Amino acid sequence: MPATTFRIFRYQPDSSETESYHQDFQLEHGEKTTLLDAILRIQNEQDGTVAVRYSCRSAICGSCACKANGKTVLACMMQVEHVKTDSGQEIVQVDPIGNFTPIKDLVVDMTPFWDKFKAVKPFLIPDGPAPEKERLVPKAAMEKIAKESKCILCAACYSECNSLAADPEFVGPAAFAWGYRFAADERDGQRKNRAKLYSGEHGVWDCTRCMFCNERCPKGVDPRDAIEKLGSIAFQEKVTSDKGARHAKAFLISLRTGGKLNEILIAPYTDPIGAPFNAPLALRMAQKGKLPKSPLTHRVKDRDQVKKLIKNVKETI
Amino acid sequence: MPRQFAYYPGCVAEFSSKELNATTKALAPLLDIELLPMPQATCCGAGDVAQAKPNLYLTLNVRILSEAESMGVDILTICNVCTLNLRRANKMVKEDSRVLEAVNEELVKAGARPYQGTIEVTHLLWFLATEEGLSLLEARGPRGLNGLKVAPYYGCQLLRPSSVMGFEDPDRPQSLERLITALGGEVSDYEGKTRCCGFPIILAREEVALKESHVALAGARDAGAQVMVTPCPLCHLAMDAYQRKTEQLMGEEYAMPVLHLPQLIGLALGLPTKTMEFKRHLVPVDEVLSIVGA
Repeated sequence: MPATTFRIFRYQPDSSETESYHQDFQLEHGEKTTLLDAILRIQNEQDGTVAVRYSCRSAICGSCACKANGKTVLACMMQVEHVKTDSGQEIVQVDPIGNFTPIKDLVVDMTPFWDKFKAVKPFLIPDGPAPEKERLVPKAAMEKIAKESKCILCAACYSECNSLAADPEFVGPAAFAWGYRFAADERDGQRKNRAKLYSGEHGVWDCTRCMFCNERCPKGVDPRDAIEKLGSIAFQEKVTSDKGARHAKAFLISLRTGGKLNEILIAPYTDPIGAPFNAPLALRMAQKGKLPKSPLTHRVKDRDQVKKLIKNVKETI
Repeated sequence: MPRQFAYYPGCVAEFSSKELNATTKALAPLLDIELLPMPQATCCGAGDVAQAKPNLYLTLNVRILSEAESMGVDILTICNVCTLNLRRANKMVKEDSRVLEAVNEELVKAGARPYQGTIEVTHLLWFLATEEGLSLLEARGPRGLNGLKVAPYYGCQLLRPSSVMGFEDPDRPQSLERLITALGGEVSDYEGKTRCCGFPIILAREEVALKESHVALAGARDAGAQVMVTPCPLCHLAMDAYQRKTEQLMGEEYAMPVLHLPQLIGLALGLPTKTMEFKRHLVPVDEVLSIVGA
């Protein structure tokens, strides 16, 4: 029977020890014991004050996300032995999910998460009066939002989101996965309004594409892909005034006019107001030869093909 | 007979960061690689086109793959973002023949060659961090890095999502470490090496982006690194060109020279410093050159 040292994050602000620390617990456990079962056994057998949030134990409720040796997991979905093999470490350190404030041990304050979730209006808002019977939706239409519908709101994607770490107001991956789930639902009547709602400051264009959300999601939701698709909906709905959308437009203009990136265009087009304030950096970059001397576009061979593709290819989200 | 690749340097290495392109081209013959130009290849869209027009992103990237296929060789990149975009498109069409068919229909309509799905896309780092690559380096008898303390900086998109990239464990990557050690350098390890540089949003959300690059710059500095090395020219711009702005925003000093991966290899293999165009860096690399005796 394997034995493991669990190094558990402790934070008990109501006790005499108000600073956080890590406490080691030794436990003999089965080969297939999950991390959640191990924590619950420690709670039951060794220290009843260890606080952890959990409910279903079956990777459905999304309550028990935590960090195991630095990597965000659902504690009920990960076996202790797997954590050890995966991390190459014999000790299993358990921490609360990142980008949230701990309340007690592994339990964090989820209020900002729920506030952001609510802010994306995660429910159907159909246009017009309700029909007499149910609204029938073709299977293909539901397949478009099938991945995002699997989100269990465990916040594993927020835990290591690099944009969120730098900007706590960023709406974030799970909320946008839900946003897409409704924006792309053909029963919903708020596609354009949703595009506007999601495109502002701290919105879809804040995503830095670190891809941690896709990597960590235990349900295969791929929240970054949903954010990407929300960008596409914004383009289709002509909601493109955000600097992030303008940045994307600069790429499209570059492709149409030459095929490769036009570095002269990209900064002033993205941020016509802010770009002049970046003149000192632009000057230093120019002195080092990092800015092109000629404003001419970089032209690829057979660029008529590229122009035709830009004209012909239709978006289907 | 050198190993041939369809060479896709990407827009940043071709224009803003020419030093990366120049060094890679100079290094290639030393590594027994022949880099074949791709005159039709467009920009990969850098994730921006994918976020605006995903079908167009896919079609343009498959057009790039198809050009390599017509040359009969795999693609070699030197940019994380290009690698992800090309590999992702490749995966999408290889996994679903209906998607490939739809894309090919558009390509043919536009007069471009349809793609058959026979090409792989690899990054220079991945090629060199294999036994084959490391033995190529060894065969060159590297002059070495003289114990230079190097902070490996991977960035994001060469590691994640691992379902698309898949070369190594995205949480415990070792390819840069293997190269640094093989070249006689000393690895300065730190937690921020797999975090984001912020570059994709640096023009639209500068403050958020700079706070992101701070994590890696501060981590490398605190680990005692004398230089940072990166396989991505976008990360390089964030870490090198924007470093002073990050210092101003965060009220900290990093003084961290940043090398492109081929420059680190070039230093170890004795490429002339002039060829590697260090004068184009915004953070001076003089101390690094003096440590390795270049």
